[in-house]
Amino acid sequence: MQVAVGTRAAVATAHPLATEVALAMLAKGGNAVDAAVAAAFAIGVVEPDGSGLGGGGGMLVFQASTKTGVYINYYGRAGQRLEGFPYDADQDRQSAKAALVPGTVAGLLRALEDHGSLPLATLLEPAIRYAEEGFAIDATLAKIILDNFGLLERDSVTASVYLDEGFPRPEGDMLIQKDLASTLRAIAEQGRAGFYEGKVAESIVRDVNNHGGLFTLEDFRDYREIATKPVAGTYRGYDVLSAAIPQSGASIIEALNILENVPLADLGHPSKSVESLHLIAEALRRTYADRSAFVADPLFEDVPLKGLTSKAYALERFLDINMQRATPPKYRDTKAGDPSRYEKESDSRNAADQDVRDFALGEADRGGHTTHLVVVDTSGTMVSLTQTLGTFFGSGLTTAGVLMNNARSNFNRTTRVNSPKANKQPRSSIAPTILVKNGLPVLALGSPGSARIVSTIVQLITNIVDFGMDAAAANDAPRFFCQKFEDYLYIENRIGEDIRDGLRAKGHTLEVYGDYDLFFGGAQIILFDPSGRTYQASADPRRGGASGAY
Amino acid sequence: MTTYPKIVALVIVLAVLSRACLLAQVKPRFEKPILLTSAGQSADVTIASTLLKKAQIESTVKSLAQPADLAGIRTLVIVAGYSSKGLGAAGISRDEEMARVKALLAAAAKAGVRVLTMHLGGAARRGNQSDDFNRVAAEAATYLLVVKGGNEDQFFGDIARSKKIPIDVVDKISSAVVPLQAVIP
Repeated sequence: MQVAVGTRAAVATAHPLATEVALAMLAKGGNAVDAAVAAAFAIGVVEPDGSGLGGGGGMLVFQASTKTGVYINYYGRAGQRLEGFPYDADQDRQSAKAALVPGTVAGLLRALEDHGSLPLATLLEPAIRYAEEGFAIDATLAKIILDNFGLLERDSVTASVYLDEGFPRPEGDMLIQKDLASTLRAIAEQGRAGFYEGKVAESIVRDVNNHGGLFTLEDFRDYREIATKPVAGTYRGYDVLSAAIPQSGASIIEALNILENVPLADLGHPSKSVESLHLIAEALRRTYADRSAFVADPLFEDVPLKGLTSKAYALERFLDINMQRATPPKYRDTKAGDPSRYEKESDSRNAADQDVRDFALGEADRGGHTTHLVVVDTSGTMVSLTQTLGTFFGSGLTTAGVLMNNARSNFNRTTRVNSPKANKQPRSSIAPTILVKNGLPVLALGSPGSARIVSTIVQLITNIVDFGMDAAAANDAPRFFCQKFEDYLYIENRIGEDIRDGLRAKGHTLEVYGDYDLFFGGAQIILFDPSGRTYQASADPRRGGASGAY
Repeated sequence: MTTYPKIVALVIVLAVLSRACLLAQVKPRFEKPILLTSAGQSADVTIASTLLKKAQIESTVKSLAQPADLAGIRTLVIVAGYSSKGLGAAGISRDEEMARVKALLAAAAKAGVRVLTMHLGGAARRGNQSDDFNRVAAEAATYLLVVKGGNEDQFFGDIARSKKIPIDVVDKISSAVVPLQAVIP
C-alpha cells in the first residue's frame, strides 16, 4: 500500500517487507527507533541495491517526550591510508578502490543503544530470515538489476547472487543471500564486534584490498558514528530539523529560507505556474552552488554553517534571482555566495556541535541511489532515516555477504573543502528531515536520488506547507531538478507544454524525463494531520515502497 | 511393445512434427559482420553483447551507431529499451536518440542490411518511454527475439503478426542463446 492512515503509529519504507518489519516491531512494543533500526537492517536485505551493511547513512530522531532532536551520522569515512592512494575518479568510481569504511552497523546499533528498547536479536531476526530464506524480487529491484548488469557481472560473488546463468534475475525470482545472513547473525550475537572486528572485518579488509582498496583492520575497529545536533532552521512557522553537515540538511534550510521571501502559494504550484517553478529552480541553483562551495566535513574544514542557514543570507541570495531570466546561461555560471559575512547572525540556531562521546575519525559514503524510511510511534516520536551504498550496488564487490559502498566518489577534486583526506567524510546529499510545530513533530520525510535529494525534499515541503497537499498528493506531484553543474532543468513529463514553453522563454534548457521517474527520488513521508489527528504515511509511487499505519 | 506399434508411433510423431514445421514461421538467417546497437540506450545492449558472446557470435558494439557505421555490415542487431540513465550517460536527449534510431534503421533498409531486434528487459523495458523505441525497432525487424516478460500483453506478438515478422519468445534472457545460434549460424 503506498498510502496509509492511522491514529497511533505509521511507517513508510521503500519495500513492503521492510514496512512489515517496522510494523511488527511496533506491535511487539518497540518504539519508533526500534522499528526504524529493524526496518533499516531489513531493507538492506530486500532492497540490496540501495543500502546495506556495507554502506552508511543518517538517522534523525525527534523525541516527543523531550521535544528534542538528535542526528546520528553514520556515513562512510575514509580509511587512514587514503592519502597518496592512486584513485581515478572516472575509472575507479564503481570499484573496491571507491569503498569507504561502512557505518551502517555502528549507526544503527548506536541508535538502538541510545533510544531503543527491544533486544538487538529481535530487531535483526527478520533481516536474517529474508537473507537466509530469500524473497521474491519485485519490479523495482528487477529493473535496477537489469540497469546495473555491467557492474554486477564484474565480481563473481556478486554475480552469483544477482545473476542467473550469467544474466539478470527477473522479477519474481527468489533472491537468497546466505553469506549476508551469516554476517547479520554475527552482529546479532556479538553486536558491533560482529562486524567491525573478527572474521567479518578480516574478510572485508582482505577482499577489498585484493581488489585494489587500502583498508586496515584499525579503520574498522576505530570507526565511530557521530551523534550530534541536527541542523536547524524555520520555514513559515515550522521548525525544520535536518541532517548535520557534511550531509545536506543545511542546503534544505538554505533553499527554504530563500523561498520564504515570496508567498509561493500566491504564485501557484510549480507544475501549473512558470513563475513558481522558475523561482524554485533558481533558488535551488544558488543552494547547490553554495553547497558545492562550502559544505564539507566540519572536523576538517571551516564551514560557514550559520551564514548558510541564516535568513539574511537567504535574502541576499533571493535578491540575486532574476524572475525574468534563468541563470546560468552557460555551464557552471552560477556563483556561490559569501555566507561567511552572516556567520554572526543571531537568527541562526546552528552550531557544529560534535559528538558527545569519544570517536575516532573514519569513513564516508555517497548520496546516490540510496533509500529512505520514516516511522512515528504511539508516543509521537518520529524517525527519518536515509542510508546508502553510494550509487546502486555501490562498488559491486561482495565480501562476507556484504555489498561494499563506493562512497569515495562523493569526494571531489574540484573543490578544496570536499577533497579526500584520511579519516574524512565526503559531502553527501542525504538529508533526513523532520518539521516540528509547537514542539510536536508533524512531518518526517526524506528521499534517495543522489543530487536530487535536496531538490525533492524542498519541493515536498513546499507541496505540504505552501500548497496544503496531503502526504500522498505531495509525493505524487510532478517534480523537477536543477543544480549548479548542469545547464539542464530536468522535469517530469507530467509538467505541461504550456509550462515548458514558459520556462524555455525564460532561458531554461529542459530535459524531460518519464511521468514518474526514479531519477527524482523515492521519497517516504509521514504527515500529521491535526484536523483528524491522524498520521498519513506515503511511499513514493516512483519506487516500489509501501506504507502502513494503525 | 512389438515392432509394428513402434513403427506406427514413429510415423505419427514424424507426421505431427512435419506439420508443426510447416506451420512454424520460416526463420531468416543472418550473416556476419554484425553491428550491435541500442534503441533507447538501456543497459540491455550490454546484456545482448554477453548473449552473443555466449552464442559464440562475433559482433561490433556501438551503442550510438550511426548510418555510416553500417558500411560493410550485413546484420544490424538492435536492442530495444529506454533508459533515462543511459541517455544521460550518453549525453543525448530522448528525441535525439529516436532520430538516431530511425536514421539508422532507414539506412539499414536502404543498404539491405537485415535487422534482428531483441527485447530483453521484460516488463522493466515497457511503458510509455520504452514502447516508442520498442515499436520502431520491432516494426523494422526481419526477426524478433523477445523475453516473455516484455510480451505479456502481446505487444511484440501483435507487431509480429501484423507485419508478418518471425518471432521467438523465450522464458528468460539466458534462453535467448539457442535461437540466436539458430538464426546466426
